[in-house]
Amino acid sequence: MSLLQKLKNRVRSKSIHVCFVDVGSCNGCDIEVLACLAPRYDIEQYGIYVHNNPREADILLVMGAVTPQWVDKLVAIWEKIPEPKAAIAIGNCPISGCVYNRRDSYIDPPAAKHIPIAAQVPGCPPRPTEILAAILSLAPTIFENYEEKKR
Amino acid sequence: MSESIIWYLREFLRTEWIRKFLLAKTDPLVTPPYFKDYPTLTGKECTACYQCMMICPAPGAIAVLRHDDGWRPEIYPGHCIRCGLCVEACPEDVLQSGRVLEAQHRDRTGFRATFHLSIDREICMRCGNCCISCPVGREGEPDGAVLKIEKGGVQILNSDLCTGCKTCEVNCPNRGIRVARVVEGVQEAAA
Amino acid sequence: MKKTVDVSIPIGPMHPCWKEPIRLKCETIGERVLRTEVELGYMKKGIERIMRGRPWQEVMFLAERICGICSVIHNMVFIEAMEGISGIAVPPRAAYLRVVVNELDRMESHILANFSYCYTIEHETLAMYLLNVREIVLDQLERITGSRINTAYMIPGGVRFDITEEDAAALLAGLARVEEDVERYTRMFATSYLIALRSRGVGTMTREKAIEAHAVGPTGRASNVPECDLRLQHPTYQKLGFTPVCRTEGDNFARNMVRFDEVMQSISLIRQCIGQLPEGPIRGGGACTAGEITYQGEAPRGELTYYIKSDEYGRIIDITVRTPSIMNIEACTHHMINDVTSVADVTSTFISSDPCVACTER
Repeated sequence: MSLLQKLKNRVRSKSIHVCFVDVGSCNGCDIEVLACLAPRYDIEQYGIYVHNNPREADILLVMGAVTPQWVDKLVAIWEKIPEPKAAIAIGNCPISGCVYNRRDSYIDPPAAKHIPIAAQVPGCPPRPTEILAAILSLAPTIFENYEEKKR
Repeated sequence: MSESIIWYLREFLRTEWIRKFLLAKTDPLVTPPYFKDYPTLTGKECTACYQCMMICPAPGAIAVLRHDDGWRPEIYPGHCIRCGLCVEACPEDVLQSGRVLEAQHRDRTGFRATFHLSIDREICMRCGNCCISCPVGREGEPDGAVLKIEKGGVQILNSDLCTGCKTCEVNCPNRGIRVARVVEGVQEAAA
Repeated sequence: MKKTVDVSIPIGPMHPCWKEPIRLKCETIGERVLRTEVELGYMKKGIERIMRGRPWQEVMFLAERICGICSVIHNMVFIEAMEGISGIAVPPRAAYLRVVVNELDRMESHILANFSYCYTIEHETLAMYLLNVREIVLDQLERITGSRINTAYMIPGGVRFDITEEDAAALLAGLARVEEDVERYTRMFATSYLIALRSRGVGTMTREKAIEAHAVGPTGRASNVPECDLRLQHPTYQKLGFTPVCRTEGDNFARNMVRFDEVMQSISLIRQCIGQLPEGPIRGGGACTAGEITYQGEAPRGELTYYIKSDEYGRIIDITVRTPSIMNIEACTHHMINDVTSVADVTSTFISSDPCVACTER
């Protein structure tokens, strides 16, 4: 492993930029992600920054069962994120559709149908600690030795 | 302007603030004991009455499955919404979640579920799928069945035996039979 | 005079200020924004369609998941509507506990709304303070109901869990902390020069305009429409002697101050409830039956209307929900964001009316 790669691994594990997109959830997961910003959970002490801008994000947090309006837009947002990137499904909605996954609803779950999902955080909504643990456990494994894996 | 600066100075020169600033520490990230997490098994024997499945509001969140050593309910994270209704509905206390079971024993609360069948005579085409698919009374007792085709139509013989599983509703080709799950929240008077 | 438009600026659906997808189209001349149009429809899940044909124990969770922030009031209005249809009486202890949980939910919703406003005008210190206070409120909610959000606390004929002596003591201790902090933050908000520059006199809506646009909730009460508070008609609140908070300015500052004042009011309402909490059962039983009702309740954002028709086993035949945010979003785009001085004020004015897109579109 080259020195440059080691440096990149170190930097990437300490600086994770997060973008969240709500593709039709009940809002509960959104505000639990916001609660992660609170000084009690203090997401920034782990080097995670919530920017909500896909062009500078490393990790996309997908919340909500995919509504028809978002089917193409979610893919567009995913393509705007620079490599290396990963998507985490927050809450039950992108995993299974939660309580909305019934006859007559307009949604199109799971989110994994539309973009590759690297990890799932079940719960309706998950606790901020669970979201934090998921981001922290996923980020090093995805971004480690990215250039070598790509080859 | 000056008022504002005074307020900021007063805000940041409080001893409490300075102490907090110097001794900044994130709160320990613990899950409190009263949080309703995914239901876990208590170890008591499940009698496969399906009350938990009948009250569950989320599709595909709980299934009572038969294992080698008896029946056991299984929770599927990703579908379960952690509402705790199954814990309250279970008459045998098989499941527990947070303080739900403890509070239920303390307050003597519970749910009473009854199931009602209704058949729309205009939609029903007397195919008999409901009678065949019904899992109740399959031990060869003709009297123990819930539904039977008689006199040119589906007759409800023993509606009190219905467990509310909706197998008939799922198997009906044109939703002529409907199962109503009527649930009441009840509390026994304190002894 | 015909207004000519330089640029039409879209804001959203994915925007750092919006927590939920919504799109505003601003028509601008230079820096001034003349008109704003709102584009909805990113969150339509068809919840009312899913609700039909289902009994209360399933619809209750769907109603709660119309909106995660004000989940308790959706649950409460739906359950009280079903009780109204079926003639189920609620034990007095349960009625008081409902008010406690509802007010806790209102507190966390208002604090979150003020957090978003402070975050939008880039006053991050106060925003983070408020978010930390909100955690204390959520702790109390979790202590009583077992979940932070989407609590599923009320059922026809009562509530799910009783509150013990220790819980009540811990709740009051938590409220004392919240009161102390929120009082300080209210003073910070009210006296800050920086916040006043961004808030006072921005997005003003008069009482006539508010009544015309049917603005509800804190948005209406900031424009001096106190009668839009439907808690005045709720029997338990009437017993508690409730008077709505009201301000006359009608700008962004007033809307946020109304929410701060309502947090303090909620704290005193909860204290009153815990003080007067009668002994007795928390569940009365009773099955849901056939009927038809239109029931209204006061959500954190304003009046919430449920029209429900049910069959003889309590299954929903027809349901219509009208949430407060739809009125507030329209009032906001037509009467507040009207000839404002910059695009930065569009986002802050829009956030100050506390829009909830998940509610609006369901």
